[in-house]
Amino acid sequence: MSAHGHAPTITLEEATLPKDSILRKAPLLLAIVGIIGLALAYVTGGGDDGHHKQFYYSYVTSLMYWLSIALGGLFFVLCHHGSRAGWSTVVRRIAENFMITLPLFALLAVPLIIGMHDLFHWSHADAVANDKILQAKTWWLNSGGFIIRVIVVGVVWTIMSVTFYRWSTRQDEEGGDELSHKMRWAAPLGFLFFALSATVAAIDWMMSLDPHWYSTIFGVYYFASCVMMIMVAISLASMFLQRLGLLEKAITAEHYHDLGKLAFGFVVFWAYIGFSQYFLIWYANIPEETMWYAHRSTGGWEWVSLALAVFHFIVPFLFLMSRHIKRKKFTYAIGCLILAFAHYIDVFWIIQPTMEHFGHSHFSFHVADILAFVGIGGLFLAVFVWRTASKALVPIKDPRLAESLAHENF
Amino acid sequence: MATVKDTLDPIKGRAPLVTSGATFKEITDAVAAPLEADNYRAWWVCFLVAVFFLGIFLVSVSYLIWEGTGIWGLNNPVGWGWAIVNFVFWVGIGHAGTLISAVLFLFRQDWRTSINRYAEAMTIFAVICALMFPGIHVGRIWVIYWVFPIPNQMDMWPNFMSPLLWDVFAVSTYFTVSLLFWYVGLIPDFATMRDRSKTKARKIAYGIFALGWRGSMRHWLNYERTYLILAALATPLVLSVHTIVSFDFAVSNVYGWHTTIFPPYFVAGAIFSGFAMVLTLIIPARKIFKLEHIVTTKHLENMAKIILLTGSLVGYAYGMEFFIAMYSGNQYEQFAFANRMFGDYAWAYWIMVSCNVITPQFFWFKKMRRNVVVLFVLSIFVNIGMWFERFVITMSLSADPLPSAHGYFSPTIWDITTLIGSFGLFFTLFFLFIRFIPMVAIAEVKTVLPQADPHWHPEDEGAGHSDEAGSQEVTAHG
Repeated sequence: MSAHGHAPTITLEEATLPKDSILRKAPLLLAIVGIIGLALAYVTGGGDDGHHKQFYYSYVTSLMYWLSIALGGLFFVLCHHGSRAGWSTVVRRIAENFMITLPLFALLAVPLIIGMHDLFHWSHADAVANDKILQAKTWWLNSGGFIIRVIVVGVVWTIMSVTFYRWSTRQDEEGGDELSHKMRWAAPLGFLFFALSATVAAIDWMMSLDPHWYSTIFGVYYFASCVMMIMVAISLASMFLQRLGLLEKAITAEHYHDLGKLAFGFVVFWAYIGFSQYFLIWYANIPEETMWYAHRSTGGWEWVSLALAVFHFIVPFLFLMSRHIKRKKFTYAIGCLILAFAHYIDVFWIIQPTMEHFGHSHFSFHVADILAFVGIGGLFLAVFVWRTASKALVPIKDPRLAESLAHENF
Repeated sequence: MATVKDTLDPIKGRAPLVTSGATFKEITDAVAAPLEADNYRAWWVCFLVAVFFLGIFLVSVSYLIWEGTGIWGLNNPVGWGWAIVNFVFWVGIGHAGTLISAVLFLFRQDWRTSINRYAEAMTIFAVICALMFPGIHVGRIWVIYWVFPIPNQMDMWPNFMSPLLWDVFAVSTYFTVSLLFWYVGLIPDFATMRDRSKTKARKIAYGIFALGWRGSMRHWLNYERTYLILAALATPLVLSVHTIVSFDFAVSNVYGWHTTIFPPYFVAGAIFSGFAMVLTLIIPARKIFKLEHIVTTKHLENMAKIILLTGSLVGYAYGMEFFIAMYSGNQYEQFAFANRMFGDYAWAYWIMVSCNVITPQFFWFKKMRRNVVVLFVLSIFVNIGMWFERFVITMSLSADPLPSAHGYFSPTIWDITTLIGSFGLFFTLFFLFIRFIPMVAIAEVKTVLPQADPHWHPEDEGAGHSDEAGSQEVTAHG
C-alpha cells in the first residue's frame, strides 16, 4: 500500500537466469538422474515372482509426493488471480513453473495403468468374485473406468496448466491488461476443474489402494497437503534462486513471511482435516472404517503414525508460529524442510500399509522407495528448472508487479 | 489491443474502498447520524414489531418449560427436532462476523472495515439465539447448570465423551471471544460518540464504555496489538465451533450423519449462511442510513463472491457424500441418500438443493453480483436453504435402518412459534444495536481512506483534516 515515491523496480535482465548459469545444464542432468533412478527402482523393486509390487508402491508414493507440489502450483495460480492478489505476483512465476510440471504427471500416471494389478486389489477379477463389498463397488472401481479417469484427469491438468502458463508468459512480451483479465476470468472456473480432478486422483490413486475403506474427506485431506507443499516449494525455490544471486531485491522477508504464514495455516488445516477424519472414524467404530487405522497402529506402523503427528503438526506448529522464524531465511528454511519431510511421512503412511491386503503389513523402508523418490523428483525438477531457465523469473509485465515488489506486512 | 475497463475491479492499482472522497469528519457524521437523529418514529415501529415477536418467543418458551418438550412434534424415532435445527441454523449465521473480523483481517482484506462491526453484531445476536435452544430443550431447565463440570456432592459429572458437552464449551468460548473482539473494536468509536454527546447522560453512558480512551499513541499501540492477538485467537474458533456442531451428528452411527466430511462442510455452510444474512441485513440498512458510499457495491460484490465460493464448497460436500455412499457399496448408506432425494422429505431436500446449490450460481455473473435487488432476494433464498439443510440432516432420524421404526416428524404450532419468536429476539437486539452503537467501525474505515496513508498529499481536495479526539491518530494497518 505504501508504493509511493521510490517504488522498487526490476528489469528483465535482473529477472532472467544468466546465459552461463550452471542451472541451464541442469535439466538434462536431472532428467538422466530421474530416468536412472526409476530404472534402478524398477530393478530393485522386483520380486522373485516376476512381479514388481514393491516398485509400484514406491512409485505411487513418490508420485503423490511430487504431484502435490504441481497441483499446489495450479491452486496457487488460480488463487492469485481469483482473489485479485497483489503481494504474490513476484513469486507467481515460480508457482507457474511448478504448475507446468502437470503434463509430466499426466505421463507419469501411465505406469499406474501398467502396474494396476500390482497396485489395486480391486483390479483382480478373482478377488472381486469372492468379495461382496468389491462387487458392489465395480461401478466405479473397474479397470476401464480407471483408465478413462486417468486420461481425463491428465488432459484436464494439461489443458489448465498449459493455458495459464501460456497466458502468463505471453504477458511478459505483450504486457497490457487483456491477459490479466483473461486469467482472472478463467480462474474461478479453474477451481471447479481443479477440485474435481484432484479429488478423483486422490480417491483413485490413493484411497482405492484399500478398496474397502472410504472417507468423504479424503480429497480435502490431499488438497491440504498440496497447498502446504506449494508454499514450502516456492519458499525453498526462492531461497535457492537468491543463493545464486537472483531476485535478491525482489523477494523480501515480507514475502517469506506471508508464504510462511500460509504454510503454517495449511499445516494446521491439514491437522484439522486429518484429526477430523481420524476422530470421527475412531468414535463411530465401524469395522469397515476403523480397519484402515488399525492397519496403521500395528506392525511398526504405530511409530510412523506417531511421527506423522509429531512432524506434521506438533513440531511445525510450535516452530513456525513466531514471525521472526518465518522472516529469517535460515530458520524458515529449516521449517520448510521439516514440512517437506513430514509430507513424505504422510504419503508413505497412507499408501504403503496397503501393500499386503488384509494381511499383516509390517513397516519396512525399501531402497526402491529412495530410488523412486529420486527418479520422479529428478524428472519433476528437470521440467521445473527447464522452465525456470527459459522464461523470466517473475511475470515482468504484470500490472501488479510494482505492488508486489513494494509489499509490506503490517 | 483493447484495454479492459472496470472501475470497481481494476487490473492495475486498487479502487478506493470508500467512494465519493469522504473526509474523516464526513465519515464520522454519516455513521453517527442514526444515533443522533431527532425523530425515531420509524425505529420505534420496527423495534416494537420485533419485541412483539420476542413476546411470542417468551410465551412459547414459558409454555415449554411448564409443559415439557411434548408440546413439540417430537416422536420416536425423531427425538431431535427443530430445537437442534434452529440451534445449528443460528450458530451458522453467527459465523460471518468472526470470519470477517478475524480471518479477513489476517488476510489483509481491507474492505472488511466497512462491514465488520455490523457483521460482528449479527454474530453475537445470532449466537445468543442459538444458545437459547440447547438451554430450553433440556427439559428440566432449573438444573441446566449440570452441563457445567461443577464439583458437587452427588459426584455427578457431565459426560465428557459427548459432543453436546463440547458444544457448551465451544459455543460459549466463541461467544466470549466474539464479544471481546467486538468490544475492543468499539472502544475508539464509543469515545467518538462520547465526545459528540450533547447530553450529560449520553456522555456518561458512552464514557463508561469508552474506558477512558483518549486516542493517544500508546492507546493505539495497545489497541492494534490486542486486535491482532484476538484475531489470531478467533481464527481457529471460526473453524472449531461448527466443527463441534458437526460432531453432534457425525459421531453417531446414523446413516447420513456419520461421514468424515462433516466438519469442513459444516464450516463452509456456516460461512455461506452467515454472509447471506449479512447481505440481507446490510442492503436495506445502507440505503436507509445513507451509507452507500461506505458500504459500496464492491463490498456487496465481494460478499457475493464468498457466497459463491462457500456455496460451491457446500455443493462439493453434497456431491461427495452422495458419491461415497454409492462408492462404499453400503446399502444402508445408499438408502439414506436415496431416501433424502425421493423419500418422505424429498420436498425439503429439493428446497435445500435449489436454494443452496443453484441460487449461488447466479453469482458467476458480474451483473448479478452488482445488482442490489438480486443480491437481496438471493440472500434470502440462501437463508431459507440453509435452514432446510439442517432440517434435512436432522430428519435422517425418521428413516431408521429398521423399516418398522420409521416415523414422520410434523411440527406443532409451538415449534413454529419458537422459530419465529427467535427471530423476534434477534431483531430486538439488532434494532437496539442500530439505535445505540455505531454500525460501521468509524476508526477502522478511516484507516483505509487515502488521507490515512502517511505519504498522502492533499493536492486536489482540501479534505482530510482530523476531527474528534477519538479518531485523530490513524495508523495505516493495511
